Amino acid sequence: METLVKMEHVTKEFPGVRALDNISFDIRPGEVHILLGENGAGKSTLMKILSGVYQPTSGKIYLKGKEYDYLTPKDSYENGISIIYQELSVINELSILENLFVGKLPSKKVAGISLVDYKLMNEKAKAVLDKVGIKRSPNTMVEDISISEKQQCEIAKALVSNADVIIMDEPTTSLTTSETEHLFKIIHQLKKEGKGIVYISHKMDEIKKIGDRVTVLKDGTYVGTREVKDVSVDDMIKMMVGREIKGTYHNTESEDLSKEPVIFEVKNITRKDNKVEDVSFQLHKGEILGFAGLVGSGRSELMNAIFGAEPKKSGEVFIEGKKVDIKNPYSAIKHGLAMVTENRRETGFLNNFSIKQNISIVPFIKTSKCQGLIGLVDNKAENEFAAKEKADMNIKCRDVEQNITELSGGNQQKVILGKWMAAESKIIIFDEPTKGIDVGSKSEIYVLMRRLASQGKGVVMVSSELPELLSVCDRICVFRDGKIRMTYDIAEATEENIVKTSTGE
Amino acid sequence: MSKNNQKKQNLNFGILWQRYGTAGIFLLLVVILAIAKPSSIFTSSSVPQILKQSSVNILLALGEFFAILIAGIDLSVGAVAGLSGLLTAQMMVMGVPVWVAVVIGILLGTVAGFLNGFLVNKMDLHPFIITLGTQSIYQGLMLVISKSQNIYGFPVTFTKTMSASVGFVPVTVIIALAAAVILWFFTTKCKVGRNIYALGGNKEAAWYSGVNTKLHTLVVFMISGTCAGLAGIVLLGRVGAAAPTAGTGYETYAIAASIIGGTSFMGGKGKIPGVVIGGLIIGIINYGMTALTIPSSYQKIVMGALIIISVAIDHFVASKK
Repeated sequence: METLVKMEHVTKEFPGVRALDNISFDIRPGEVHILLGENGAGKSTLMKILSGVYQPTSGKIYLKGKEYDYLTPKDSYENGISIIYQELSVINELSILENLFVGKLPSKKVAGISLVDYKLMNEKAKAVLDKVGIKRSPNTMVEDISISEKQQCEIAKALVSNADVIIMDEPTTSLTTSETEHLFKIIHQLKKEGKGIVYISHKMDEIKKIGDRVTVLKDGTYVGTREVKDVSVDDMIKMMVGREIKGTYHNTESEDLSKEPVIFEVKNITRKDNKVEDVSFQLHKGEILGFAGLVGSGRSELMNAIFGAEPKKSGEVFIEGKKVDIKNPYSAIKHGLAMVTENRRETGFLNNFSIKQNISIVPFIKTSKCQGLIGLVDNKAENEFAAKEKADMNIKCRDVEQNITELSGGNQQKVILGKWMAAESKIIIFDEPTKGIDVGSKSEIYVLMRRLASQGKGVVMVSSELPELLSVCDRICVFRDGKIRMTYDIAEATEENIVKTSTGE
Repeated sequence: MSKNNQKKQNLNFGILWQRYGTAGIFLLLVVILAIAKPSSIFTSSSVPQILKQSSVNILLALGEFFAILIAGIDLSVGAVAGLSGLLTAQMMVMGVPVWVAVVIGILLGTVAGFLNGFLVNKMDLHPFIITLGTQSIYQGLMLVISKSQNIYGFPVTFTKTMSASVGFVPVTVIIALAAAVILWFFTTKCKVGRNIYALGGNKEAAWYSGVNTKLHTLVVFMISGTCAGLAGIVLLGRVGAAAPTAGTGYETYAIAASIIGGTSFMGGKGKIPGVVIGGLIIGIINYGMTALTIPSSYQKIVMGALIIISVAIDHFVASKK
């Protein structure tokens, strides 16, 4: 069978990392080819090479038999390759019709002036909108349609440009069951017309349902390509996660922590937006509790609600047995709660402050009165906080007066940890604490977390990296669709059963 | 870092500009004026005169500084000053004791600022929109209350006090400098001041660090309103009458003084002493151009050019880093 796209021995190196190592991948007409792998396995990088965003370091790409060393976005587009990203790229302020033709509006000459040919657009649009099942007028503004319709709009956009290969990156994350069914019908139709579909997803049931072949990547390397009907879900999970776990930070003297007193408890938390519903958990003294799950399953959303940063509808929080009322981060901090947020740049550090000021902000808030309005800046205490945390956290800097933006990601993270330590927090929530930081700082953070736990502080960790959770935590709660579906003791937790629970298999 | 390097860095234009840029502009203007017309500077009355002319600008700029510090703006300061002055005048004419009228006038500024902050928080809109609206409302109120007539004929206690001097320093200047000292203490020594810088630098990160962002936004606009109220009283004392259009356009001077004084429009950066010098720069431009008998219409052109030039240099310095 003729292939639409063939990538051979593709390698992509970024400074310091090999994102893809000798990967081969092909797409045949009329098939759904699943691309499977954990976060960071290299799926997106591979697809970005195909769409011309990245250039491979080595390897060959064949489009319709023609050989390329790399593709430009134009090559990719002209050869009928179209990507639908997870964050949809339709423009809300334009109509459906205008979105379909954005960047390639057909024109006609009227009295020598080029005008947009709306008549031609309408004709073309009607055909593709029927095909994807959008029943609205093409003049409807995109901001007025639902997410699934936006996605259909993206597919229609691909069809308008005569795409032969359509890449869908986790298309069902924000769809309901019936919308997903509808998407599958469209995909079926496209298959019949001989289009090649690349389907990126973590959801095993979907893969079994619509996949023809599956290619598994792991840490940038090629694991294998199989016929979907020949492999079981277990096989696929094994291919996906089967790797050695390097370096364990786990406390090997495994005491029975469940007999220790509960120092932190959350009861029946429901968010105002219902992204988290009726979640409860307990944290014992000396324990590190992990939260696994897919991105968007509600883990960070739960932590934000506990910390008071985002509104909750109901639920109670207990610290050391006492019920605490948390209305906003200010009251959370007053009660000894700390939160190391996922996004350092946006919610972590203050880019106009020095290292010293970034550390002192939280202890100053904690000792202030009246929502932070009352209280004086104590310069002596501030210098002491900075000096202590610089040493404790091993922050590598010239001077604590330096602006925090001059530091590396790992050191910025240590400053953020320092501010919570300086405030003598009792319960520390870590949301993806090692995201985007170097290996050395990562292990320093693991060691710190273990040290905090053994000092009797409560440590909660949200992470999307399973090896990290498995080596650091004592118990792991697995989230799916806004609820804890299962809690594993570390002895029984494996990558396989966590992936199964988080994907709903 | 070696000593040699340190020295090199000190001589770097960007750092010099950031530290002494505002003061440099001020000195440059003084020198220009001294050369162009020595008699305008080297007389005993000139310095008090310049200070006096700057006091309203400094007060307005001090309040504006906070609004810009949180990456916002307050377009209503001129109107608030006018309204506060007008109501104080009205009360005094009606026979309300001077000090009561003055205190109520200042508090009225606080209330107007509260309303700005409340609307910004409630509607979650950029302060530009809100204060553009309230500016017009406050100006309209002035016309309604005054029935478009000037109000004058204040008790002697008021006019005498406002035009008095302690030594050679006019009372109005003492008021402006006292406000500056209090706010300097507020920004550098109080936690609430520190929190406002945090809010201006990164609102989200400040929220996650425990800063009650809405409450602090409210405080910022109340400070801005209070300063405007105080400026309104000082303006009333200087002019000796309350015009129904008093304060119109003064927000431009206040914004100019803050920006020339080194406050970053992106929020989170700026210092009170810089703002005071910024206010003095506006004052000396007005004074100098009058002394050189340049028509007042040109003053606006110079002021506008100065805003753009100082922001352009800031931008250039930041991009070089």
